[in-house]
Amino acid sequence: MSKILGIDLGTTFSAMASMEGGEAKIIENREGARTTPSVVAIGKNKERLVGIPARRQQITNPQNTIYAVKRLIGRRFSDPEVQKDKKLLPYEIRESKDGGVEIKMEDKWLRPAELSAMFLQKLKQDAEEKLGEKIEEAIITCPAYFDDSQRKATKVAGEIAGLKVLRVINEPTAAALAYGLSAKKGQQILVYDFGGGTFDVSILDVTAQTVKVIGTGGDTHLGGEDFDQKVMDWVIEEFKKDQGIDLSSDQMALQRIKEAAEKAKIELSGAKETEINLPFITSDSSGPKHLYLKLTRAKLESLVSEYIERSIDLVKQVLKEAKLEMKDIEEIVLVGGQTRMPKIQEEIKKMFGKEPNKSINPDEVVAIGAAIQGGILKGDTKEVLLLDVTPLSLGIETLGGVNTILISKNTTVPTEKKQIFSTAADSQPSVEIHILQGERPMANDNKTLGRFILDGIAPAPRGVPQIEVSFDIDANGILNVSAKDKGTGKSQSVRIEGSVGISKEEIEKLKKDAQAHASQDAKKRELIEARNQADALIYSTEKTLKDLADKIKEETKKEIQEKIEELKKVKDTENIEEIKQKTKQASEIIQKAGAEIYKKQSDQEKPKE
Amino acid sequence: MKTQEKDIKKIKKELKESKKGKEDYLAGWKRERADFLNFKKAESERIEKYINIIKDELILDFLPILDNIYLAEKELPKDNNWTKGFLGIKAQIEDFLEKQGVEEIVCLNKHFNPHLHEAVEELKGEKPGLITEVVQKGYTLNNKVIRPAKVKVTK
Repeated sequence: MSKILGIDLGTTFSAMASMEGGEAKIIENREGARTTPSVVAIGKNKERLVGIPARRQQITNPQNTIYAVKRLIGRRFSDPEVQKDKKLLPYEIRESKDGGVEIKMEDKWLRPAELSAMFLQKLKQDAEEKLGEKIEEAIITCPAYFDDSQRKATKVAGEIAGLKVLRVINEPTAAALAYGLSAKKGQQILVYDFGGGTFDVSILDVTAQTVKVIGTGGDTHLGGEDFDQKVMDWVIEEFKKDQGIDLSSDQMALQRIKEAAEKAKIELSGAKETEINLPFITSDSSGPKHLYLKLTRAKLESLVSEYIERSIDLVKQVLKEAKLEMKDIEEIVLVGGQTRMPKIQEEIKKMFGKEPNKSINPDEVVAIGAAIQGGILKGDTKEVLLLDVTPLSLGIETLGGVNTILISKNTTVPTEKKQIFSTAADSQPSVEIHILQGERPMANDNKTLGRFILDGIAPAPRGVPQIEVSFDIDANGILNVSAKDKGTGKSQSVRIEGSVGISKEEIEKLKKDAQAHASQDAKKRELIEARNQADALIYSTEKTLKDLADKIKEETKKEIQEKIEELKKVKDTENIEEIKQKTKQASEIIQKAGAEIYKKQSDQEKPKE
Repeated sequence: MKTQEKDIKKIKKELKESKKGKEDYLAGWKRERADFLNFKKAESERIEKYINIIKDELILDFLPILDNIYLAEKELPKDNNWTKGFLGIKAQIEDFLEKQGVEEIVCLNKHFNPHLHEAVEELKGEKPGLITEVVQKGYTLNNKVIRPAKVKVTK
């Protein structure tokens, strides 16, 4: 059976995804991009252009470059929305015989659905090319506020493009589906969708059988592009203040500022401050002029605060209309690229007192959800074997109380890991296997799952015996730890149940703990490692001195002993730097002695002439 | 006697069921193994693709620096030793990019083509659809457009 294409048909951008190996994956278009501008055009040479190339020629051909069809699809010409957009759109529209909308492209009058179809056809072709198979069925998403006529027209667009549209589903429902939220019954989900050109709020009510939309709102003319414009205006104004030159009519400068403004906005989602650095932006009689500005996150936030406040007001309004309070909302989902802005995430968190769902790329989450819906219809997702993961790392305690991890967290089970360990002292008769769970580097800070002793190890110098420790977690989350002395073949094991199934709260607490202590732990671990290194050096040196007593000069021997004594003194202090330094000094002098031994040896072995 | 026959029947039925179960599991396991091997293959292809994407991105991020070098070049005095040295550095950068497979999209006086160019302004001219000015150079990497040229076009 062929794949079902999940399509997020957006006002400015669209994305598509399909199920692959039980997981929804975004499909790139032919140009290699994960989203495609929702633009269709007839070029000046009568060539039909869709997506990126259509947008590139928009300026030369505004009457025949059709974008934002989504604002018109399935609407009546007399709709106030249509009348408002009519004034803003550079292409011609008129009333069709049945009261709908018709768009003029070249010399033909076309229905919005026909234009959407041209666009969907490209998506279909690109997906077929990428996946290497025919695609016949699709799920298309639409805003929650779309009425029956708009949904029907969206479906028709798909069918004209040669796709059997199995469902037209709500964008917020798709987003919730992508996060797997539709499984929990009896909860209300708020979807905050801040895209490039539109802002939508929806509230979903998940009941036993259905996902119902119980509130919608937003602003169809508020989006991330408004944020970019604000930054651009600010840059132009600052330059004017500083240099007295107005760049707003300089096309070349404007292009550069536009790119730089968008880049700065994006960078400020990660950094607190960014530079807008555009050398040689213009020149006058006194020579070249450079544009160099610092933009802080706080400044950006103040520039766009009116938009953020407006979006928050709209959220409150939708809640009020749905007769809900903040506390009635169990989950919040963020959709749309603009929601990457930390200030927006903060405001939402402050408002609802809980973390919103934001781990899936907000530009792609709707398409992902549509693909998942396709998978459900096809029965794909039912067949999927649900495999658990280990929520925390599993390891054993090694020399110096260090937690040595064998199976790291988020490993899919069943799984098995083996590692060889050895003894820490000469003729050590047994080893203790202390099984740990947690992320902290020191054994004591983690949870003990169990311990056992493997004895009967044959007497041998430290580091010689080979003890193979294996961790095996089966599909039921039962952990089997065994230790085997490879020399004698003796082995010992223990079975621990429930290593996977820890409560969510406990996992969170342990993870937080690990984060909070990260730097302190790293120091502690560094100290232990330095001590272990010093220990090993003292041991091997003393052994060498004993074994090769006659091959080392007395004075060298004395020097080594001195250094080793010094090292022994500092070894158990807390001073990492000193331990490292003394270890280095001792090892240098020992290497010198080593060189001496080899020299002696080769002198003796030299053939006599 | 009767109970024995019944038992045998029951055991046979159980055996049949468990055989079928075993086959189902085996088939599922084989499928899973095959899926995994296929995934590994696909993954290595993906890694290769990602390396190329990373290279594309790196070059794309580098291009604005080159743009600025061209802008600076325009403002420099001619026949000056400082300028000569600077141009030497520019040539090095161009050479490096060429070796990576980067090629400039030649556009001046050519017909506008939205697959290669992005129009930023329309101007009056004798013949329509010709590129009269390049606002920002465009480039291809291994024959794929990584950045279209931003151009002014005649009406």
